[in-house]
Amino acid sequence: MKTRSFLSFVAPSVVLMLGLMAVPLLLTFYLSTRHCAPEMEMVTVRQSGPFGTQETVTQQVRKGPDGQPLQSCRFVGLEYYQKVLGLDRGAVLQDSGKAGESSSSGAAEVSSAAGKPAAVANEFWSALRFTLLYIALTTPLVLGLGFALALGASVLTQRLKAVFITASLLPFIITPVVGALSIKWLFRDDGLVSVLLAQFGGQVHWMAQAWSAQLLVILYGVWHVVPFAFIVLYAGLQSVPQDALEAATIDGASRWQKLRYVTVPHLMPLIVFVTLIHVMDAYRVFEPVLVLTQGAFTTSVQYLTYHVLLVENNPYKASAAAVLTVLGIGLLLVPLLRRTWREQRGQV
Amino acid sequence: MVRRSSRLGSTLLHGALALWILLASTPIVWTAVISFRQYVDAFSTPVKWLAPFTLENYTRLWIDQAFYVNFANTAIVTAGTVTISLTVGCLAGYALARYRGSLGFWLLLVALVFRALPHSTLLPSFFTLFNALGINNHLLTLIFVLVAINQPFTIWMLRSFFVNIPQELDEAAMVDGCTRAQAFRRVIVPVMWPGIITTGLFSFLLAYNDFLLSSALTNAGNMTMPAAIASAIGAESEALLMQGVAGAVSITLPLVVLVVFFQRQIVSGLTQGAVKG
Repeated sequence: MKTRSFLSFVAPSVVLMLGLMAVPLLLTFYLSTRHCAPEMEMVTVRQSGPFGTQETVTQQVRKGPDGQPLQSCRFVGLEYYQKVLGLDRGAVLQDSGKAGESSSSGAAEVSSAAGKPAAVANEFWSALRFTLLYIALTTPLVLGLGFALALGASVLTQRLKAVFITASLLPFIITPVVGALSIKWLFRDDGLVSVLLAQFGGQVHWMAQAWSAQLLVILYGVWHVVPFAFIVLYAGLQSVPQDALEAATIDGASRWQKLRYVTVPHLMPLIVFVTLIHVMDAYRVFEPVLVLTQGAFTTSVQYLTYHVLLVENNPYKASAAAVLTVLGIGLLLVPLLRRTWREQRGQV
Repeated sequence: MVRRSSRLGSTLLHGALALWILLASTPIVWTAVISFRQYVDAFSTPVKWLAPFTLENYTRLWIDQAFYVNFANTAIVTAGTVTISLTVGCLAGYALARYRGSLGFWLLLVALVFRALPHSTLLPSFFTLFNALGINNHLLTLIFVLVAINQPFTIWMLRSFFVNIPQELDEAAMVDGCTRAQAFRRVIVPVMWPGIITTGLFSFLLAYNDFLLSSALTNAGNMTMPAAIASAIGAESEALLMQGVAGAVSITLPLVVLVVFFQRQIVSGLTQGAVKG
């Protein structure tokens, strides 16, 4: 194919990705170094009443000719990064706010003045810490359970197998927010699992403390992704060379040895594939954190950006969190990119 | 001796597999069961295995709360996303499968990086951009965002299907006088249907299941079903909670139908390689 026709074939796709991913990403970098607040002005209000005229000076939002409130924006450098990373002493943004601060940062000032600076600090680190914990715990569980199911499913008869695969696929294709909700309803204090556990003496208020809420998020993650690992590894098992297995049997290999020295090496590329896809997706963990903890006991990096943007209503701080999130996935991706690089270079 | 131990092993194995099916389906099945109950029967101590049947949660949700509007929005967004994704993705996937230059390699590499990008990182810019352009809270905006975000995955997957179609096919068509575009439309696309259907299924799932972008970019009458159900997350009132339960079942039902009918395509898509959203 000629370069020219290649370019015209890929153009629509490239334009979409440029316009709605690359450009917004660059804009995020830009936004993360800025701060905008509505412009305030001092106005003297004269009130005339029966007891004479009173003058009061108040602040109000300055409006433009079109009636929209005017925004004053300025470059703040890395201040929001410091804020998100908990390195900020709260000084610069508030002192230099000559145009007047928005009410949200005023509230932040009050809460940090109330003597809990540690609670506001380190937002990104605590989000990243749980995200990494989630990746580290779910990955081996997903691979192990998926592999066990793939081995086990091979004993089923053809008809049972179809039913088994269909039923196994459900947790994987279910809408994540719905899946997380259905787990939440099982583990409410009056939900099915909680009540049954309480009957056996294991009463836990699952969503009222950090460890159990985090455990639920991880449980959800495993439940949601095991089917994926199972299907991929099951398909891989169908192509294990039978003659190699027979040769190993003749050589006196035990069942375990055949698994260890023939089957697993054959499946290695698929195991790597599942791991990479899962790490990428687990880094994005969002819905279960939102649904099961509502950010109370644990956050994830995606949750942090979402929360700062939609609840704190601060797109600039959210952008700083977003840029740090991108840096994080960049670091995680380096080994994967090097691998693809080598593979594709070999082909092209 | 040997036979007895292997029979025991087989029983244990079937038991373990049955346990997995139980664990996999309990959240979904139990949610479906309690959606037909009053709150007091749905969440009770001790557990009520049997309780009076009611459709109240569904009538409240679909009629009083006008959930059909959200259903229609989801239908529009999903159909639009799948159609545009496949059209744009097929062109790019085909070109990537046939082009030998290094430009294609770079495009695939960049797509892979974008494939890993957490979507929330784009939201601050989307808010700023869409507000400036005045296109916030439009279904069409959401459709194009979803198409763009799914492109990396779509072009990787479609490319892997196109690579399996022998190049001789388009060459023969071009010898017979077709242009490249005609060869693509008249010869390649007709034999690509299995790949297009499988990729379409995954585009469908990605659009249908999206919560993050849909809930952030739409509100009021433009919310999709997953965005609308967000109100059930922190629901305090019993009625709201039970509507959420009915909503969860309503969202899941089409997916169950999908799995039953397209199990083979989903499995083949998962094993294809560049997959899973």
